[in-house]
Amino acid sequence: MRVSNSLVSRRIMFLFALITFTVLLLAGRLIYVQLIRNDFFIGKAMDQRLQSIPVDAKRGTIYDRNGIPLAVSVSANAVYAVPNQVKDKESTAAKLSEILDLDLEFVLQRLQKNTASEWIKKRVTAEETLAIHEANLPGIGVVENPERFYPYGSLAPQVLGIVGIDNEGLEGIELFYDSYLRGVKGEAIFERDAVGQIIDHGIKAYTPSIDGADLVLTLDFYIQQIAEKEVRRACLETGSRLGLIVIADPKTGEILANAIYPSYDLLDYNAYPIENRRNITVTDPYEPGSTFKAVTAAAALDSGVATLNTHFFDPGYIKVSGWTIRCWNRGGHGPQSFTQTLENSCNPFYAKLGIDLGGERFYHYLKTFKFGDRLGIDFPGEAPGTVRPPSEKIPLVTWANIGFGQGLTCTPMQLLAAFGAIANDGVFCVPHYVKAIRTEAGEIGPEIPPSERILDQNVANMVSKVLRSVIANGSGKKADVKGYAVAGKTGTAQLVEHGRYSHSKTVTSFAGYAPEHDPRIVGLLVLWEPQGAFYGGIIASPVFARLVEQIMPYLGVKPEQESGIDRRLAVKVPDVLGKPVAEAQRLLTEAGFKVETAGLGSRIIDQIPAPNAEVYPHTTVIIYTDLDYLPVYSELPDPIGV
Amino acid sequence: MKEIPRRYWRNLDIPLILAVLGLFLLGLFVIYSASASRLINLNSDPFYYVKRQVIAAVVGLTGLIAILSIDYRVWRRWAKIGYFLSILLLGATLVMGRIAQGSQRWFRLGSFNLQPSEIAKIVIIVVLAHYLEKPGSFQGKKILYPFLLITVPMALIILQPDLGTSIVFVGIVFAMTYVAGGNIRHLGLIALIGIVAATAAILLSYYKVVKIIQPYQLRRLLAFIDPYSDPTDSGWNVIQSMVAIGSGGFLGKGYLNGTQSQLYFLPANHTDFIFSVAAEEFGFVGASLILCTYAFLIWRGIKIALLAKDRFGTLLAVGCVSYFVFHLIINVGMTVGIMPVTGLPLPFLTYGGSTLLTSLMAVGILLNVGLRRQKIMF
Repeated sequence: MRVSNSLVSRRIMFLFALITFTVLLLAGRLIYVQLIRNDFFIGKAMDQRLQSIPVDAKRGTIYDRNGIPLAVSVSANAVYAVPNQVKDKESTAAKLSEILDLDLEFVLQRLQKNTASEWIKKRVTAEETLAIHEANLPGIGVVENPERFYPYGSLAPQVLGIVGIDNEGLEGIELFYDSYLRGVKGEAIFERDAVGQIIDHGIKAYTPSIDGADLVLTLDFYIQQIAEKEVRRACLETGSRLGLIVIADPKTGEILANAIYPSYDLLDYNAYPIENRRNITVTDPYEPGSTFKAVTAAAALDSGVATLNTHFFDPGYIKVSGWTIRCWNRGGHGPQSFTQTLENSCNPFYAKLGIDLGGERFYHYLKTFKFGDRLGIDFPGEAPGTVRPPSEKIPLVTWANIGFGQGLTCTPMQLLAAFGAIANDGVFCVPHYVKAIRTEAGEIGPEIPPSERILDQNVANMVSKVLRSVIANGSGKKADVKGYAVAGKTGTAQLVEHGRYSHSKTVTSFAGYAPEHDPRIVGLLVLWEPQGAFYGGIIASPVFARLVEQIMPYLGVKPEQESGIDRRLAVKVPDVLGKPVAEAQRLLTEAGFKVETAGLGSRIIDQIPAPNAEVYPHTTVIIYTDLDYLPVYSELPDPIGV
Repeated sequence: MKEIPRRYWRNLDIPLILAVLGLFLLGLFVIYSASASRLINLNSDPFYYVKRQVIAAVVGLTGLIAILSIDYRVWRRWAKIGYFLSILLLGATLVMGRIAQGSQRWFRLGSFNLQPSEIAKIVIIVVLAHYLEKPGSFQGKKILYPFLLITVPMALIILQPDLGTSIVFVGIVFAMTYVAGGNIRHLGLIALIGIVAATAAILLSYYKVVKIIQPYQLRRLLAFIDPYSDPTDSGWNVIQSMVAIGSGGFLGKGYLNGTQSQLYFLPANHTDFIFSVAAEEFGFVGASLILCTYAFLIWRGIKIALLAKDRFGTLLAVGCVSYFVFHLIINVGMTVGIMPVTGLPLPFLTYGGSTLLTSLMAVGILLNVGLRRQKIMF
């Protein structure tokens, strides 16, 4: 067998042709890559080498109304990543999470983003900065960057809200006014090698950032501190799960203080439960309870359903379409004037007012007071509360309930605004947190609806006088402060749990203002689930008194000379504390006082007026018994809320 | 040693030598460009690799002259012993070779590393040429014999593992058997079976049935199909290489001015991706000049094969030419993203002693066959 030379030659030539073809293919590929797609690959090469380092804008400062800085931006070292320069994402993430004490998943997820740069951690310490430099990780760098800092600690944290790692407002005022505060990001561009080192003679560019606008809050640094101290004390003393104090200027709606306990630390917010961050004043509706009777009174007087001369006999209950509504005073209050019904917080009377007003008219007044609607406050996540319109065919007993503050919900801020309108001669001012936004172009005001008159001035003043009498003569006596004429109303409502009224959990509150004839502050205190004594008159009123005592002198309000009581006619109230109910009732009656008994207990735990106080004869003395709250409303239908 | 007759020297293929010299010198420049900045950063001698390459060239030149001085026809005697020696060497590599980057390919010789699989290529070319010069030895069923010959060394190389080199073996045996006169249908059938077997191996490994192909090799193959499937590792190399070449444009960025290669974006730039460095800095003009030089070198080799005095010489030349061709296509194809990443060097340009030695030995074989060519009849 032979293979001819010519066959071999032919095959060699064929092989050569094949080789030539393949080499031409390579050349063709070169033409495609180098000539046709040249621009594309130049762009790719640029992308790899040019690195943009973010320069965050300095976030605007947040001041209190006195110009005290509450939240400022300071320079701090921050660690960033250029994701497409990080070659080994897993190991880099592992190292970063170890050095910076971060969650591995969080770091990895940031490194896997397809963005120019990502923040990994802000406010790193000098040691962490050094460790990052030493680790020499490709695509990871440290840069000085403005960062939120709170020079006076976490004041009003639920109002201010937190700022995220990308310098964006996440909650509260920081979120609501984020577009003003955040400013415009800048960037610095450098040419870098694959290891991340900047090339000395490389391309460089710099776009400066534009600083954010400053905010001036309506909050007052000192009043806020007082409120935070008092809400904390009230919660601790009463064993309450949750408490809030909100104080505003009734003439403008400016919120002077808004304190919520338990609170949290703005700089270390992850160490606290997330619910501590909620500004429940605005976001969480509740049943206002007896404090709401002030609104019913205003509606009744304004509509003519009742006058100050209306009298009412309270047998201790009222029957409404088959339901029995009981009064908290076991024996009933008997004959009362209009003023006395509020002093006594007489449920049957306010149930009757609700019925007399009727669905259509009552609903109209509720809407006038903005119940069931958002106020339009300058805060994110405002809740409207629940008020069911008469078109839903609401049973009559519901309007009776609403008359004394059950069967509807509102936010604490809505109730505050309603009291503010009564205090402010009938003019409703929308509460707000921001006084001014200081932009480059000048100052602008907050984004809130304008004030409007909702009540006749005379009606407002009438209700105000009644509210003053509640404090001077009625269940709110403990809220009174000598010389400052506090007006207001206490309230205790059963907490709604799983759609039913709880038999053991209550919400105790006090809403009021001072001084009555020229109000400087309107305030609301709410305590959730106090332990032991929970009558608003006992535990909420003294807190309000302490607030007034501290805030009035600070605001420069001089105490008035009160026409004290005529000592010649005065008698001393006997001390019945600790005594059995029957004995206490007997002692007081014998001494010529009228007696009202709260609760179903057998011993007296508190009395209003206090033992040995000098009062006129025949004054009503309220004695509080030690048995847990009598669930007077528990048989009622339709609780609203949670 | 037999004196080489004077008339032979007139047959020395000077253009081929010049082409090789040109590629080698260009290689020195590109190796310097690719490695200097990194070496300076490490406080090392920027000429470190260049110097070592020159030393390797001197060794290779010695080998070339030694090969040139012994009439290739005498080599037939040494084919068998060379075959077994190289198998022994490859076996020894697996047992006591140096492990680097996940494979065991090298022997340590002083401060140099010897890669036996490179030398084995030359030995296999000689062995195959000797076997295939007798047409009777590969007719009919015997067509399988040349393939069986390379099975053992190839298997040893696959075990290292070094897929690229074993593919070159397959290429060489196909080219040589084809030129020697092998039945085209039979060769086609073998190729078909090979392709089916390789596909099966890849699929079985991919679905983790049997681990025939190493995971890193599989990743490289997948990265070849879609570089962005693994843009940080295997795909990264290809992407960076294409970015470097593509951004070079028509005239290139200038010597020592290639941003991608100078700024460490391009990996393995003085070894596997040396072509990318050259293409970035010298542009399309430089890259196509390199391709032309190779084409010229291949053409000279083809000419030597055509004019060889005997079938043995022809087949030797064809083997050496296929050696260059497969390295060129696989390496350059890899840098422009049309071949998977295999780590095959580009002869004369890539830094590396064993490669340069083997390439110069192949040149020596070509020149040797060319010296003793048949008289030109016209």
